[in-house]
Amino acid sequence: MVLSLFLGSLVSLICGLDRVAILQIMISRPIVAAPLAALVLGEPLVGLQIGVMVELLWLARLPVGAAVPPDDTQVSIASSVLAITLGQTLNASGGELLLLCLFIAVPLGKFGQYFDRYARQYNVRLVQRVDSALKRESFLAAEGQHLRGLISFSLSSLASYAIIILGGLLIIPVLWPYVQQSLSYSSAWMQLAFPLVGIAVILGTINVSRAITLFCASFCMAFLLMWLV
Amino acid sequence: MCLLLYGLFIDVVGVEMKVSWQTRLHIWFRLLLLQASWNFETLQGLGFFYALLPGMRKLYSKEKLPEVCLKYTGYFNTHVYFAPLVAGAVLRLEEDRISGTAAEVEIDDFKQMVAAPYAAIGDAFFWGGLRPLAAGIALFLAVKGILWAPLVFVLLYNIVPIWFRTAFFSRGYRQGLKSVEFIQRHKLPDLAIHTKEAAVVVLGGLSAFMVFSQLTQHQVPSWLGMLTLIPMVMLGLVARKGFSTLLLVIITVSSIFLIGLFWADVVHLIAF
Repeated sequence: MVLSLFLGSLVSLICGLDRVAILQIMISRPIVAAPLAALVLGEPLVGLQIGVMVELLWLARLPVGAAVPPDDTQVSIASSVLAITLGQTLNASGGELLLLCLFIAVPLGKFGQYFDRYARQYNVRLVQRVDSALKRESFLAAEGQHLRGLISFSLSSLASYAIIILGGLLIIPVLWPYVQQSLSYSSAWMQLAFPLVGIAVILGTINVSRAITLFCASFCMAFLLMWLV
Repeated sequence: MCLLLYGLFIDVVGVEMKVSWQTRLHIWFRLLLLQASWNFETLQGLGFFYALLPGMRKLYSKEKLPEVCLKYTGYFNTHVYFAPLVAGAVLRLEEDRISGTAAEVEIDDFKQMVAAPYAAIGDAFFWGGLRPLAAGIALFLAVKGILWAPLVFVLLYNIVPIWFRTAFFSRGYRQGLKSVEFIQRHKLPDLAIHTKEAAVVVLGGLSAFMVFSQLTQHQVPSWLGMLTLIPMVMLGLVARKGFSTLLLVIITVSSIFLIGLFWADVVHLIAF
């Protein structure tokens, strides 16, 4: 289990940095990050299922200007790691455990937003340090200060991951025997609800004048086609 | 890779250059770390200084360099994929200033003038349009359990950003101030709206596909799936009013959970 958590933290670090600090090639998106973490742990399908559920949830929350959206990267990675490791420990498989992991991870993901804010706040100190390094004509030090920002973002990602993992490890084994049966009645429908709620939120916030009309037309057309074929 | 090479080299042929291609490549790579020290005071300011430093080193003497660099550590914020365009143009303007060609506007003014509109265009196009579109297409594959879906997403999404980051950097450097006209000519705000519309259509198809698959799997009459539109549109309207996604998820999932429990009891009673 310790090795799994450690491997998960490496993925969390790499994907967390892609989120803001470096590259932005979108390996931080849940549809990529969750299967990647799960692949490292040997069960990519678990990650793919979680990726499908989380990807669209906060996609409408744009990282515009100084706005900090919820940390869906760490939510998806930590959920995948929890589902795989606890699946082995509790000898459970299927969508129910996966859902429970996600239920715990999603609210805890709110902490990720605070850590991210704190990292950005901490980086304000670097501005003064760079200025004073430049006044001293020490360019290497100034460049180093900029790169120190990576440490803040790395720590922020790892802290979010750790909080979700810790919360999950403490809560899920206790809850699991009580909710396992109850979740089995509706787990498939709840798994469907996650992406649909995400799509509904995108629909409500996408700022396209005919969004609802286009969406309904496309939905009906696709549905009828599938029904007829 | 081809896009990257094309973007970096194609536009600079025949342009008289003070900053060598090696230095420009160095700047380009540093632009990938633009947001490494993102902060609430200067936003991408330090990153912009960090990226341009190799160029400034070539253009200015050691005595003049600190003064010039201090100008670049201040506030700067644009869309991360548009930053290479601004950096390229700023580099060109600095080069012109050194060679004595009078610029129509101050470099600092130019930087601030273009940063906000580029950020708005980039946010609408990339975050608001392209990302949901690529995600929607990849999710079709993911729902089918195809493990290549994440790779499809990364490839689909990154084609345009790589193009922007490479070709636009060269364009900015080649054209300087005139790079603004280049952006205006391409009508990117219109393209953003069309991309968003395409994303909505794809997401509509994806929703229908997911609902239909679920109903078929559980042997529920498929026409019932059309009713999904009602709660989805309602949730969309509620989200428009500013309700948090987290709250909407909790309410929806709890309702399904309770209905599931109730239904299980009903089935249990009928069985008795």
